[in-house]
Amino acid sequence: MSATLEKGLHALREVIDAPIASYFSSCVHCGLCADACLFHTETGDPRYTPIYKLEPLRRVYEQEYTVLGRVKKLVGLAKPVDDAMLDAWQELVYDSCTMCGRCSLVCPVGNDIVYMVRKLREGMAASGHTPDGIRSATRRTVEIGGPMGLKWPAVANVLRKAEEATGLKIPVDQPGADYLVLLSSMEIVNYPEYIEALAKIFHKAGLTFTVSSDAFEATNAGIQIGVSDLARTIVTRIVEAAERLQVKHVLSPECGHAYMAIRWEGPNLIGRPFRFEVVHVLELLDELRRKGVLKMKDTFKDPLILHDPCQIVRRGGVLDAPEQLIRQVADNYIPVVDQQKWNWCCGGGGGASAIHTEEAEALRAKAFQVKKRQIESAGVDTMVTFCANCRIVIEEAFDHYQMDTKLLGLTELLAEHLED
Amino acid sequence: MQGPLIDTLVRQGVSRRTFLKYCATLASMMALPPTAGRAMAEALAAARRPSVIWLPFQECTGCTESMTRSHSPTLEGMIFDMVSLDYHETLMAAAGHQAEDALHAAMKDNAGKYLLIVDGSVPLGIDGAYSCIAGRTNVDLLKEAAAGAAAIVAMGSCAAFGGIPKAKPNPTGAVAISDIVKDKPIVNVPGCPPIPVVMTGVLAHYLTFGRLPDLDDKLRPTAFYGETIHDRCYRRPFYDQGKFARTFDDEGARRGWCLFELGCKGPVTHNACATTKWNGGTSWPVESGHGCLGCSEPDFWDAGGFYKALSMPADPLKMGTAAAAVGAVAGVAVSVANRAKKHRAQASHETTTLADLEK
Repeated sequence: MSATLEKGLHALREVIDAPIASYFSSCVHCGLCADACLFHTETGDPRYTPIYKLEPLRRVYEQEYTVLGRVKKLVGLAKPVDDAMLDAWQELVYDSCTMCGRCSLVCPVGNDIVYMVRKLREGMAASGHTPDGIRSATRRTVEIGGPMGLKWPAVANVLRKAEEATGLKIPVDQPGADYLVLLSSMEIVNYPEYIEALAKIFHKAGLTFTVSSDAFEATNAGIQIGVSDLARTIVTRIVEAAERLQVKHVLSPECGHAYMAIRWEGPNLIGRPFRFEVVHVLELLDELRRKGVLKMKDTFKDPLILHDPCQIVRRGGVLDAPEQLIRQVADNYIPVVDQQKWNWCCGGGGGASAIHTEEAEALRAKAFQVKKRQIESAGVDTMVTFCANCRIVIEEAFDHYQMDTKLLGLTELLAEHLED
Repeated sequence: MQGPLIDTLVRQGVSRRTFLKYCATLASMMALPPTAGRAMAEALAAARRPSVIWLPFQECTGCTESMTRSHSPTLEGMIFDMVSLDYHETLMAAAGHQAEDALHAAMKDNAGKYLLIVDGSVPLGIDGAYSCIAGRTNVDLLKEAAAGAAAIVAMGSCAAFGGIPKAKPNPTGAVAISDIVKDKPIVNVPGCPPIPVVMTGVLAHYLTFGRLPDLDDKLRPTAFYGETIHDRCYRRPFYDQGKFARTFDDEGARRGWCLFELGCKGPVTHNACATTKWNGGTSWPVESGHGCLGCSEPDFWDAGGFYKALSMPADPLKMGTAAAAVGAVAGVAVSVANRAKKHRAQASHETTTLADLEK
């Protein structure tokens, strides 16, 4: 078995549904989505107009599901979608789309463009037009358990170190806990302080939690590459573990697309509602803040701005919690113009950060200019965010532009200033 | 009767003041500037009676009846009398060779200056044999008379457009004057019959200004044929309100509502009936309760029936239901086809594995 064009077209026929039909038929070609896309604003290349990235999907829709398109196809006037086209579009669908959803937000006729990108990726994957980086991340997630190939012993090791650092117990596979804590590989490897912060906060709030040894990974490369079958396999691990441990909540880590995967795509992938509630860590923190549990011993003094990760804020619906929380801990929080749901993507979401070709990296760096301008015009040296993937992408970009801006994780920042 | 027109009028008991009023009315009716009334009066008063030759072809004499009988003794009638009518078969006392001599004498004496009035259409079938005078066909006579005319007035719908003789199946091959004469100024004064004042108005204009009045694309004087009956109809407000008589004796008919649905051709008929009325301003067809027949328009006899409405208002609901039904059927058909295709695609779904990601 291998990827073929026919499989890709079959997948596209399969995913085209009523929303897609209505989106394509209501597009008025206004081009507003172009200026909502950071790849377009930063490069000026019209190919990066979001709706244009969907051209293969649109063609299949037209030729398979519209009367005029079928007639055109019959008389040979329709340009078929072929391998060459999909090959040319791979860059547009993966490298230059982070599925940030800003285009969907601005569309005046309400077309959910990012919804269609997600669907188009099914066809791209089935026809074999995916970037190597995402494909190998997917392979590692399915075969080993996480996109970085992390195995449980390594995780257990990190948890043990966190226990030592905090003096608090981190329960593993504990049935009946309030929260099943999911992690992302990036946090485990690059930001273990997140785990320490979480342990402190749970302890402070008097809530029980557990980590599952066979479902610690929250990210879902199957969604990023666009294969629902694989995404289902990955999300099923979490669902099974959570239901087996009979937890009330599953706590999504800061990681943006992990939250989107488990909270919004998850139930659709498995085809039934969860028997537990999915909560983003910031939602939990904000709830604790409202209850007065989250008391600060001191505050962070440096001026800072917030980077709202797309999948958590704009697409995830966690809109107000981040600002409420940052105001709790920071004295000099400076709101930026494109804030909250209007925030600009870091440039590496939706799997893009896993693509390590020279072109993709150069493009990411270019797209980051919009973020750079935000930081510079605010005149701050500190930026706070709450997504492990954003953090890696932004730090790479800081490196590229030799910026000495500090980047902090929101949960850790809160934990650091939490009353003992 | 020789000498200026005004002397003749005075002899007939028409005062100068009445004549001025008449000219002013005529001027305003033809949409001429107010000063034109006085100019017209002066010109007309001084005018020598022009020679007029009236040729009747395939006609019913209705136009002549209209001119001579219905409005006598009005001013129009008198002015009409005052032209030097040198040849008119119906009116002239002479007959036979005497009449033909008069015709030829007038044509010779006034060559290039006389006004030729024609009523009736010209048959072209079997070499024009359908209508002959003194052994000569109408078309032959017309060509001869037209050659020396200053201008030609086609009186009535038959002369102007072919009229009833030309109605289907047009057995005589009747045509209009303008189909035969191409090199002379022609004024069409259509109507079955035409309104007398239109005739005298054209004549007065010609005498006053030395040229024919402004004409529309069908060679009709715009002063009289510029607007439709419908535009100037006193029942127009009812049309605008959607109030229609549906039979000739229903409540609507009694209340004087619009006759559109009873076949009134007013909206497509250009004539002055609604403003000048008939029989000395007594009434006109619509005022008497009958829709306009459209007699001053080409081929009015074949326009689909006098009592058939020009168009019936569409029933939007009926149309809407039909359109919705057609749309729904088409929509359902497309949707069923699309669903089947999508379901086929989903049914034949093969689970993608990692191996499937590689080409």
